[in-house]
Amino acid sequence: MKPDSEVYLTRARSEDNTMKVIACYNIKGGVGKTASAVNLAYLSAREGNSTLVWDLDPQGASSFYFRIKPKVKGGAQGLLRRKRVLDDVIKATDYDRLDLIPADFSYRNMDLTLERFRKSSTRLRKLIEPVQSDYDYLFLDCPPNISLVSENVFEAADVMLVPTIPTTLSIRTLYQLLRFCDKRKYKHLDILPFFSMVDRRKILHRGMLEDPPRTRSGFLTSDIPYSSEVEQMGVKRAPLATYAHNSRIADAYRSLWRELNSRMDHPSA
Amino acid sequence: MRKPFHYPLADSDSLPRLREQLLQHLPFESAPPETYQVHYYDSFDWRLFQANKVLAWQQQNADSQLCLLNTGDDSTRTAIRLEHQPPRFAEELPQGQLRQELDDLLGLRAFLPVASIETRSLACQWIDKEGKTRLRLYLEHHKLVQPGGKRSTLCKQIRVAPLQGYAKAAKRVTSILEKELALCPGDGDLLSQALVSMHRVPGNYSSKLNIPLEPELRADAAMRRILLTLLEAMEINEAGTIANLDTEFLHDFRVAVRRTRSALGQMKSVYPPATLARFRDKFAWLGSITSPTRDLDVYLLKFENYRNQLPGNLQADLKPLRAFLNRHHEQEQIRLSGALKTAAYRQLKNQWRRYLTAPLPQRPAAGDARKPIGEVGPRRTWRMYKRVLREGQAITPASPAEALHDLRKSCKKLRYLMEFFQHLYPAKQIRALIKELKGLQENLGDFQDLEVQIHTLKQYSEQMKQEGDMTPRTELAMEFLLMSLETRMQEVRGIFESRFEQFACKSNETRFRGLFNPSQV
Repeated sequence: MKPDSEVYLTRARSEDNTMKVIACYNIKGGVGKTASAVNLAYLSAREGNSTLVWDLDPQGASSFYFRIKPKVKGGAQGLLRRKRVLDDVIKATDYDRLDLIPADFSYRNMDLTLERFRKSSTRLRKLIEPVQSDYDYLFLDCPPNISLVSENVFEAADVMLVPTIPTTLSIRTLYQLLRFCDKRKYKHLDILPFFSMVDRRKILHRGMLEDPPRTRSGFLTSDIPYSSEVEQMGVKRAPLATYAHNSRIADAYRSLWRELNSRMDHPSA
Repeated sequence: MRKPFHYPLADSDSLPRLREQLLQHLPFESAPPETYQVHYYDSFDWRLFQANKVLAWQQQNADSQLCLLNTGDDSTRTAIRLEHQPPRFAEELPQGQLRQELDDLLGLRAFLPVASIETRSLACQWIDKEGKTRLRLYLEHHKLVQPGGKRSTLCKQIRVAPLQGYAKAAKRVTSILEKELALCPGDGDLLSQALVSMHRVPGNYSSKLNIPLEPELRADAAMRRILLTLLEAMEINEAGTIANLDTEFLHDFRVAVRRTRSALGQMKSVYPPATLARFRDKFAWLGSITSPTRDLDVYLLKFENYRNQLPGNLQADLKPLRAFLNRHHEQEQIRLSGALKTAAYRQLKNQWRRYLTAPLPQRPAAGDARKPIGEVGPRRTWRMYKRVLREGQAITPASPAEALHDLRKSCKKLRYLMEFFQHLYPAKQIRALIKELKGLQENLGDFQDLEVQIHTLKQYSEQMKQEGDMTPRTELAMEFLLMSLETRMQEVRGIFESRFEQFACKSNETRFRGLFNPSQV
C-alpha cells in the first residue's frame, strides 16, 4: 500500500451509498460552471470521495484544467451508441480519487445523435448506470444552452447547481430555466442556484445578495466572489486549492461544498 | 485506479542506481524520497484474513489514514483519515462506511497488531508534454518493524502504479522492466512476506471444534486428543483474557473449560475414576472463577440494547447502571487475571497436560477406555439425545423455568458430543443435525438469558441502592427495563413448544437414529 495514490477515502459518501449526480448548469455561458465543477470535484475527492467529472462541453475547459486531451475514442456517437463502455474512456487526473471523462469536439453534435434514440432524454442516465458503484459523486460540467443534452442532464442529475451572476439578465435566464423544469416536472431534481462572480463593490450585486430572488429550493447562502485567482486556473491548469489554498475564493468554494453536502444529506433543509 | 504491478528486487540492489537506469529508458521525473509506515491489524481469530481483507493504518507525517484493504491487490474504497493510532474496536471509529464494514466483519473482536512495515520509497512520475502524470513508479525498500522498534529488511521491489486511461504507458514501462532490466513480476503481497518472516501463520485459530478422529481409535486416546485441543484453546486465549483485549478471549476460554467439563462428565467410562474426580473439581473451580467477569461482560455488551428498550425520556437515566457495571467489571477482571496467574492454575494446566500426554495404559481401569471411539462416541451421543427428548417431552406450559434450564444443559451436552465426534459421521448429515439442535438451543438460550438477566438486574438494583448509585429515575428506568425483559421472556417461552416439536419430529429422530444408533434402524 502506498499513501494516497492507491487508497480511496469515503468519509462523506452519501447515506444511501449511491452515486450522487451533480450537474453544474446554466443556460448562459461564462458564469463559472466549469470552475465550480472542477473545484467542487477536487474538494470532494480530497475529502475522501471517489469522484468523477464528465466534461460535456465541447469546448473542453475542464479537460484543459486537468491537462487531459479533450478526446474520446469513437466520439459522442461511440459513447451514446454504447460501442464504448464509459469505463474505457475514463481518465485518472493527477489527483487521488478524481477521474474525468474528457470532452470531445463531437459533443457539439450530441443533440443530433441523441435525437436518433427512442427515449432520447434518458440516454445519459442509462449511460452512467454502470459506474454507479465505482463513484460517490459525478459532476457534470454542462455546455451553456437548453437542448436535448440539457434534458438528458436534468433526467440524470440529482442536484443541479446553477451558478448565477447577480444581474438582471442572469436572473431572467434562471427563471426561464426554472419554468422549463417546472413544466417538465423533474421532481427528483433539486435545483440549487448560487451567486457566482460576485463583485460586492457593485450596488446591483449587493442588492441581489441581500434580497435574492425567490425560487422553490431557495438560493444557497454561500456565494463565489469574482476573483482573478479563478482566471489563474487556466494558467496553472489545476484546481484552485492546489495553488491558492488559503485564498478567499478557495474558502468560498469550501463553504459552498459544505453547504451543498448538507443540502444533499437533508434535502428539505 | 488500476491494479499495480510489482517487481521483486534482490536485497543487494541499489535503488538509486536502478532509478538512474530507468531514467535513461523512460521520460520520468523523480521526486524526493519519502518514508512511511504501515501497521496491519486483524482480529485474534483472523476474521479479516478469512474475508481476504486486512486493516492498515498508514502513517506518513500529518497524512495518516486507516483503510480496509483487499489482500493481494491492496485496493480499497473504504478509508478514513486518522492521525492517531486506531482504537481497539470498530465502534470507537467515526460513523461511516469503514466503521460499518469493520463492525460487520469483526463484531466484538478487537483490532490487534499483526505486523508493521516501514517503507522508504523513491518515486518517479511519467509526465507528458501537457504536464499530466501518466504513470507513477516507486522503488521501495520495505523493512519489518519488530515490536521493540528494531528494523530488518523485508524486501525491495519496484511498484508500478498505472493510472486509469493510460494503459499504454503502463505497457511500455512493464515491458522495459521485464525486457531491458530482466525483472520478473511478483505478487507484491508484503503482509504475507512479513508474516512468513515472523513465523506467524494467518488463520491458525478458530473457536470451532474440528478434531480428526479415526473410528477405530481407542476411546481414551480419542478423548485425550479432544481434551488436549481444548487445553490448547484455553492457553491460546489466556493472555488475551488476562489483558482483557476483548470479550471474546474470555468467552472462548470459558467455552474450552465448559467443553472440557462436558467431555469429562459425558465420557466418564473412559477415564480412571480418581483422575476424573480430581480434574472435574478443578475445572469446576476454573469455570466458577471466570463467571462473574463474563456475566458483567454480557450486561455491558447488552447495555445499548437495554437502553433502546426504554422510552426516550428514561434512556439517560440508565447511565448509573453502566457506571456500576463498569466498576464491578474492573474489580472482577483484576480478580480473574490474578486467579489465572496463580500457582493453582499453573499446576492444574501442568498436571492436566501430563495426564493427557502420558502413555496410554495397557490395562486401563475404565471400562470403555480401550473400546473404539466409533462405538463409544455414538452410543453416548444417542443416549444424550434420548435424554433431551425425554426432558423436553415432560415440559408443559405449567412447568417451572428450572425444567427448561435443565433441558438447555442437556442440549448443550448433546451439542458438545456431536461436535467432539463430528469426524466419525458424514459431514453433511452431522452438520444438518447440529443445525436442527441449534434451533432449539437458541430458544432455550434466549429464555435462560432473559431469566438470569431479570434475576441479576434485580440483584444489581439492590446492590446499587446499597452502594449509593441509585436515583429514583434510575430505579424507574430499571423497573421499565425489567418489565420489558419479562415481556420478551414470555414471548420466548411461548414459542418453546413449537421449537421443541420441530426438533423432536419423527423425521429428525430417524436421522439421529441413523447416525448414532444404526443397529436399531
